[in-house]
Order: sequence, then structure tokens, then C-alpha cells
Amino acid sequence: MEITFIQGLLIAIWAMIAGLDCWLQAFFIFRPIIVCTITGLILGDLKMGVIAGGLTELAFAGLTPAGGTQPPNTVLCGIMTVVVAYTNNIAPQTAIGLSLPFAMLMQYILLIYYSSFSLFLPSFDRYAEEGNAKAFKRLNLVPMVIVTLSFGIVAFLSAYAAQGPMRTLVNSMPHWLTHGFELAGGILPAVGFAMLLKVMLKARYLPYLLLGFVVASMIPFSNVLPVALVGAVFAMIEFYHSKDEEKTMAKIKELEVNNQGGGMNDGI
Amino acid sequence: MESKTNSETKSQRHSIFSKHEISMLGIRSNLVQSSFSYERMHAPGFTWAQLPYWEKIYRDDPKGLSRVMTDNMEFINSSPPLYPILMGLLLSMEEDHVDSQTIKGLKNALFGPMAGIGDAIFWFTIMPIVGGISASIAKSGNVLGPILFFLVYLFLFWTRIPLAHLGYNLGAKAIDIIEDNSKIISHVASILGLTVIGALIASYVKMKLTIKVGAGGAVIDLQRQLLDKIFPNLLPFAFVFLLYWLLKKNINPIWLIIVTFALAIVMSLLGWM
Repeated sequence: MEITFIQGLLIAIWAMIAGLDCWLQAFFIFRPIIVCTITGLILGDLKMGVIAGGLTELAFAGLTPAGGTQPPNTVLCGIMTVVVAYTNNIAPQTAIGLSLPFAMLMQYILLIYYSSFSLFLPSFDRYAEEGNAKAFKRLNLVPMVIVTLSFGIVAFLSAYAAQGPMRTLVNSMPHWLTHGFELAGGILPAVGFAMLLKVMLKARYLPYLLLGFVVASMIPFSNVLPVALVGAVFAMIEFYHSKDEEKTMAKIKELEVNNQGGGMNDGI
Repeated sequence: MESKTNSETKSQRHSIFSKHEISMLGIRSNLVQSSFSYERMHAPGFTWAQLPYWEKIYRDDPKGLSRVMTDNMEFINSSPPLYPILMGLLLSMEEDHVDSQTIKGLKNALFGPMAGIGDAIFWFTIMPIVGGISASIAKSGNVLGPILFFLVYLFLFWTRIPLAHLGYNLGAKAIDIIEDNSKIISHVASILGLTVIGALIASYVKMKLTIKVGAGGAVIDLQRQLLDKIFPNLLPFAFVFLLYWLLKKNINPIWLIIVTFALAIVMSLLGWM
């Protein structure tokens, strides 16, 4: 199906709202699960948007900006997953892979901004030194406007202007390639989880990773909440254990100090 | 002499900012990333968020305003959802006209540990749990998935307000609380987070072989008759650890995505998956 000019504009406006939120991280409406749902709503296929949101959110579960790496952009990935699935009539899981180049394009644009926005710092410093609050506030709006507009432009070009070439590309893809993209969509969460592990995993936490894995493999359930509760049980046990340990250590230290004092007195 | 002026300002302290203004500080803490750059990270936004409050404190003291603005333009990078505590705490000290070197020292001592706690709680624990649960609801087309996700994060947005009050009311006392508990909290959050990640690997990484191998007349379904017999979800677990090992070798995450796609396409071409 085709995306109309009006739908393209609405997607661009939505990309600006979600993009600004992505920049500030305020409401977290920049996560794929929300981005896909609203994009689906704009295109008149809410259900497909929600399904795509669930799948894309999982693919991005571990791809977080924490820990120093900027992941492919979730706003563009969410929008383009729904757009590609809608315009080419393919499964959202296959569309995730095709949306990634757009997500990476936005990622690189943001990386350029992260470096080049240092150019504003001398002006900020000058206004700070002058105590010029008005100018300082105004200057803060500039990067936000640049980022917001970039999201709108990139989303409009990707969703509306590129739909023809995209359709040609998808139509020319042989079955093994589309099936490969579908498989990749299912495996992709592994990348995010590996990134989380890189930041979080220490030898002492390995038992908990295995615990969660084994429980989830053995017990059938529809979401991760039960396992989260198992984790919470261990977290609570460990919390009280650490608190007790802290108290004991403090007492031992106290005793040591007292003993030393006593020993010196005895010596004299 | 100095202690006398200190106690005088302290007694007036809560008359300068209304409760509503402190709540607004929590809301304004969302501006910290407005002018993010690698050089000084959150500094310009961090300064902007607090600026109206300093304008009030230093209404008749342009030098004081310029001093506090310059001080806050130094590098700062912490966890966005925890900024309200830090800002509330710094504001109460600024209001008491605590020595600027002391305030700066505290700010620099706190933002690092707070980034650690914040990342452990918000990105590594809440995000996988909330994202995992709402995505598993959404996957079947149920709109309650995204609604649940939105409501949880709306609540987290709202928590910035009580956090700002907490920081402001505790003042310098907040420092001890943060320093005493930061290690235990990130330790406990890691336990919870890793348990959930273990479960997410088992539930959401989909790798199943479809290939059947003929061995002397008998046909063996590799997935069902071999891998699942050893341990269910063996392939996803092994693949995550392969990627983890590559990351430990400092390979760029983009390459991991490319490897994943290459593997999937080759498997599809061979008809193994």
C-alpha cells in the first residue's frame, strides 16, 4: 500500500515529537513499542503497529545508550519497520532488518551532532561569564531545534520519498533473502543482550544469569514477570545480607580500635 | 561572623522557594540533555534547568549569578532520571550560600556514583523488565502492551518531582545516604537485572535449526533430537555468549548486527534454519 503525502507529513511530525523525546529522554515515547504503535495508527493499521512495536522493542531491548555506545536510533527503526511492512505487505519481523539502515543513518547523524555541538560551548561560556541568563536560555534552544528538525526531515524522506525505490528493492529480493531477514529479526535481541552483559556481567553475577535462563527455559509462561519475581527474591535476600555484613564489619572495626587502645594501655 | 550569616540564611531558607517551584525543578531536570556534546556532556542543559532558581537567589548580585553559571558549565554526566536529587541538593546549598568550592566538590563527587546507580536501575533493570513484559503483550497485537509501557514511564517521569523535594529537603544529608547505599543498590539491581536478562535470552532470542541429517538410513532432526535433548535454548545462549566475547574484544556493536544478519542469511540460503 502507498503512503499518502498527508500520512508522510503526519509521520514527520510524529518523528519530531518522538525525536525530541529521544534527545531529552523524558517520556520514553521514543522507544520502538510506542513509536511503532503511533505510526501504525497514522497509517490506519493499529494492530500491525502494535505487533511491530512488540517485536522491535525486543530487538532493541539491550541496545541502550548507557555504557557509552550510541545504538541505532529507535525512532527511525520503529517508524521504518511499520512503514516497510505496510508499503510492501510483508511481516513486521522481516521489516525490522530493512529498517536498520535508516536507524543507523539517524544514529550517525546524532553522533555528528554529539561532536559538533561542542562548537556552542564557547558561546555558553561567554554568556555564563556575563551572567546573561536570557541569551543562555535562548542558545539552549538551538541544538534542540536542529535535532527536532533533523528527525522530521529524515523520517519524511525515508517514509514518503523512498517508498518507491524501497518497494522495488523488496520485490526484487529472492525468498531466501527475505527469509534470512525474518530469521535475523528473531536473532537480533541477542545483540542487545550481549551488550547488556558486557556492561553488567561479573563472575559473581553469573549464577543469577544462569538462574533466569534455566527457569525461563523450563517453566512455560507468557512473559518475564515470574522470573523477575524470582530475581527480586534473590535481590532482597542479598540486600539484607549486605546490610548485615556492613553492620558486622563496622562492629569488628570498632572492636579492633578498642582492642588496640586497650593493648597500648596494658603495655604502659 | 561567617557562621552568623550562615545561620541567618538558613532560617529563611524555605521562604525563598515555594513547594511548587521545587516541583518545577524536578520537571525542569528533563532539560539536562538539551545541548549534549561529548566535550562537557550535560553541562549546558544542567545549567539551564537550574538557571531561574539562581536568578532568584542572586537577584541583586550579578557577580554571584555569573559565578554560579560558570561553575556549573564544567563537565557533568550523570543518570538523567536522578538529576532531580542532585539539583535539589545543590539548590539548597546554593541558597544557604555554602562556599562555592564545597558545592563544586560535592557535585563532582556525586555525579559519577549517581550515574552508576541510575544506569543500573533504569537501563539495566527497569528497561528490560518493562520492555520485555509489554513487548510480550504487544506481540499478539494487544494494544495494552504499549499502554502499559507508556504508563510505567509516565510514572517514572512523575517521580522526578518527589526526588527533587527529597534532594532539596535532605540537603547535605543526602550525600551520606547516596554514598552509603550506592554500592548495595547497584549490586542488588545487577542481580535482578541479570536474572531477567537470562530469562529474556531464553524467551526472545529465536534460533532453531530445521535441518535434518541422514545418518545411515535414519533421519535425525538436529534441533529436536539433539540440541533440545542437551538443553533447550542452547543455541540462543551460545550465540549471546559468542557476541559477548566479541564485545569483550572491543568489536563495534555495528559489526555484531552485521554478523547476525550474515549468519541469518547464510542459514536461510543453506536451508538450515
